[in-house]
Amino acid sequence: MNLINFKNVSRIYKVGDHEQKALDNVNLDLKSGKFIVILGPSGAGKSTLLNLLGGLDSPTSGTIVVNNKDISTLNNNELADYRAETVGFVFQSYNLIPTLTVFENVSLVKEIVKDPLSVNEMLEQVGLGDHKDKFPSELSGGEQQRVSIARALAKNPKILLCDEPTGALDSETGAMVLKVLLNMARNYHKTIIIVTHNQNIAKMADVIIRVKSGHIKEIINQDKPLSVDEVDW
Amino acid sequence: MLFRKLLRTIWRYKAQFISMIIMVLLGVGVFVGFQGEWKSIQDDTFSFYDSTGFADYRLVCETGYSSEEMDKISTISGVEKVSRYVSAKTNESKQNDVVAVTVTTNFEVSGFIVISGEDYDSTASDSIWISDMYAEKNDYKLNDEMTLKYGAISITGKIKGLIKSSEYLICTPGENQMMPDFDTYGYVYISPEMYKNALGGFELYPEIHVISDLEKKEFSDKANEKLGRTNLLLTKDEVASYSEAQGEASEGKTMASILPVIFLGIAVLIMATTMQRLTINEKTQIGTLKALGFRDSKIVRHYTLFGLFIGLVGSILGIVFGYFIAWYIFNPGGSMGTYFDLPSWAIHMPWWTFLVVAGVVGFMTLISYFAAKNMLKGNAADALKPYTPKAMKRLKIEDSKGWRRLKFSTKWNLRDLFRHKARSSMTLFGVFGCTVLLVASFLMMDSMKGFVNKFYYGSMNYESQISLKEETTNEKALEMVSYYDADYSASTNVSLNEEAIAMDIYHVSHDYVKFLDPNMDFLTLEDTGVYLGQRLIESNNLKIGDKFEVSIFGSDAKYTLKLAGELRTLTKGVVMSQKYADEIGIIYKINQLFTNKTKENISKDTAFGDYISTTKSRNDIIKSFDSFMEVMYVMIGALIVLSIILGIVVLYNLGTMSYFERYRELSTLKVVGFRDKRIGKLLITQNMWLTVVGFLVGLPAGIGITCVLMKALASEYEMKMIFGWMTFVIPAIVMFGVSFLVSLMVARKNRKIDMVEALKVPE
Repeated sequence: MNLINFKNVSRIYKVGDHEQKALDNVNLDLKSGKFIVILGPSGAGKSTLLNLLGGLDSPTSGTIVVNNKDISTLNNNELADYRAETVGFVFQSYNLIPTLTVFENVSLVKEIVKDPLSVNEMLEQVGLGDHKDKFPSELSGGEQQRVSIARALAKNPKILLCDEPTGALDSETGAMVLKVLLNMARNYHKTIIIVTHNQNIAKMADVIIRVKSGHIKEIINQDKPLSVDEVDW
Repeated sequence: MLFRKLLRTIWRYKAQFISMIIMVLLGVGVFVGFQGEWKSIQDDTFSFYDSTGFADYRLVCETGYSSEEMDKISTISGVEKVSRYVSAKTNESKQNDVVAVTVTTNFEVSGFIVISGEDYDSTASDSIWISDMYAEKNDYKLNDEMTLKYGAISITGKIKGLIKSSEYLICTPGENQMMPDFDTYGYVYISPEMYKNALGGFELYPEIHVISDLEKKEFSDKANEKLGRTNLLLTKDEVASYSEAQGEASEGKTMASILPVIFLGIAVLIMATTMQRLTINEKTQIGTLKALGFRDSKIVRHYTLFGLFIGLVGSILGIVFGYFIAWYIFNPGGSMGTYFDLPSWAIHMPWWTFLVVAGVVGFMTLISYFAAKNMLKGNAADALKPYTPKAMKRLKIEDSKGWRRLKFSTKWNLRDLFRHKARSSMTLFGVFGCTVLLVASFLMMDSMKGFVNKFYYGSMNYESQISLKEETTNEKALEMVSYYDADYSASTNVSLNEEAIAMDIYHVSHDYVKFLDPNMDFLTLEDTGVYLGQRLIESNNLKIGDKFEVSIFGSDAKYTLKLAGELRTLTKGVVMSQKYADEIGIIYKINQLFTNKTKENISKDTAFGDYISTTKSRNDIIKSFDSFMEVMYVMIGALIVLSIILGIVVLYNLGTMSYFERYRELSTLKVVGFRDKRIGKLLITQNMWLTVVGFLVGLPAGIGITCVLMKALASEYEMKMIFGWMTFVIPAIVMFGVSFLVSLMVARKNRKIDMVEALKVPE
């Protein structure tokens, strides 16, 4: 059963008088429970793909069905509910609320989700059980990203969407964050989609999607992905 | 190139620039306008006094002064000019209006200016120079014939000129009428020659008018010595046309020194915060210019131009707006025009007003200078880093037990308020300031309305007030009292510690006239003493039970009076019952009757028509006072409207600033799955909190400011602060309404948040 289905999806941006096709007639089927990596150079359309999937943006044409729901026709409030219930985001720049503590940043999801996971459990899982009362500014980049992962997972979403999650981190911290991310996703049976430039991350993926100039060039299913520890960072 | 950048940046931040310019415009405009109001009254009246030779001193003697006596006064060293003077109320033959016939033997003292027609001729024997306002209202034209009657004496002449005289700057027939009414009362000037002829070769000049720089005591001593007797002396401060006008100017000055200063303060401080934030928004660009090799001084100069530009444009527009406000309050067609009869209504401004405005421009330029300088601290790499607000620290209240139980939105808003202290405190200050302005304005208005209502609708229980002609005897007056079933009073002028005040003796048997005690409750005049207003009690340092002496104008009679109580009055005066006046032997002349008969019936009934000077209905008097109060209402009304506009601009500006500062956080909430309405609620809640606090602090401050204002205005009005529920409800509705609507406008912006773009920005 496919969790995600893109059918003839295009996303065209208007820049002045010009039209820029970020995605051009993309068709894609993805199954649940997989670790998917989207690879491609800058401007290839990979973030657009992720944003459409996350309900941050809507396609110019085509349909996107996620978990049997066509999200390309949803209104603003329905999209907000979709983002709250179905997807969790992890960004390169963490995007934590600076005026909320670590615990409160993760607890935030309780305000919008009916059955969130335990905040304490999430923080223990990402190794920040002792930092609950700290503010984001008191944490390192890696720690902030782990809070962001805890927050994304606390919503108990079906899909975890990560845009360059290790982009702002050094390789050692990046590897540690990825390990946390993958362990958490596997423990809680989540589908993870990561957009990245980093070829090394792709070595750990079940599915690699290569994007170029708004088109999907290649989809590779890896039978034996490497573990984080096996990758030479 | 940088100039083009300046223009484009202004265009990019046009909403903020416009709001900043509006703030400066309003602040400067209100400040300049209110200063212009009192200065224009002062300068235009002074120039009028100068051009018509308004007298500094008036020697008064009912039996009159001879020309020899006048000459003696003119020999006093320090006396510049003198004139014998008379102003007698006559009846005009066409409509029986009261017209004051005025004669001055020296036209350079207490004279007039000609608006149209012929110049004054001191030898003319049949020429009349008439008030242009009275002529216009009563259809008198140049060369028309006019007849004036005083008992058996009749004066007839041709109108040679339409004039204005500063003696009649506020042209009212007496103390009980506060506003001029040129329909029924006016004045004319005739030559001494014509006056002499009218009196059959006899002359009576009960006043000598003097222009002199001498101090009152010195002049009084010298005049008494020269004339060989004690004379009643009035300074110009005891003449309504001077004291009332200068009182109006001083009232305007008091208003202008408090409320518009608060207004300007709010505008400038909030403008400064916005300017600083705007520069912060430009930090990356500032860093880019530095990295490109621009010198710090050039970059600072470029960004300083923003402050200078806003300051200059806002101030120039503000000055124009200020002149408009001053004109709006002080113009011949407005409420002030019904009060003053002035030849020139030019707007004048105190010189230091422009210095203050220049200070505002300088302050704003300095703010942008320091803000840009601050952004350039460190090396080019430091300057290139985007601005990050201070890191969040734990608040003390977080240690309290209740903290953990607070909702996330409450915690978020509380921490945000403390993290962005400058913005929060400015919003608080804005709400506080506007609340102070609104509460003070409404409180002033309510107190005035309350006072007027109580005074007129409560105290004046009669239907009509009849003023008797001067020649009416007490016996005839008592006949009229019985005929009209009236209460009555006798008013005269007395001197209390060399100050001319009114003395009113009342006989009240029908309760047609009531009196108010300091608590605005009605009091009955006891027969054990007299009553004074708060101003006189304070200025003469008197206590209840004290005795003090008054002397009657125009006679040597002196009376010792006992202070029985305090009352609230519109005029400075002493009030007593007829019984008490009889007991201490005061000689008085009944000149007012108060009756329940209507004005129309009194006019139709000719029984005592020959003894009646004027009849006024209660509505006429209330209407006259309403017009008088309108001057104040116009000022307060303008202040209320402008405070509301300032409140809207301030709250919108700071709300937008708050929105942009939290743009990234709001985007995150949106990405996480928060609905627009929920996010909007967060923004509105924070603004409403600040509004609640600002309002609660502003409320007592507004009352305090009103207390200060009332104290400062005490020489004009003896008012008690009156709190109506509207005093607080209207400012509350306005402040919370404005705050909510503005917050809603800002909150609606979050629908347009571009989550993708917002979250791309690196932290």
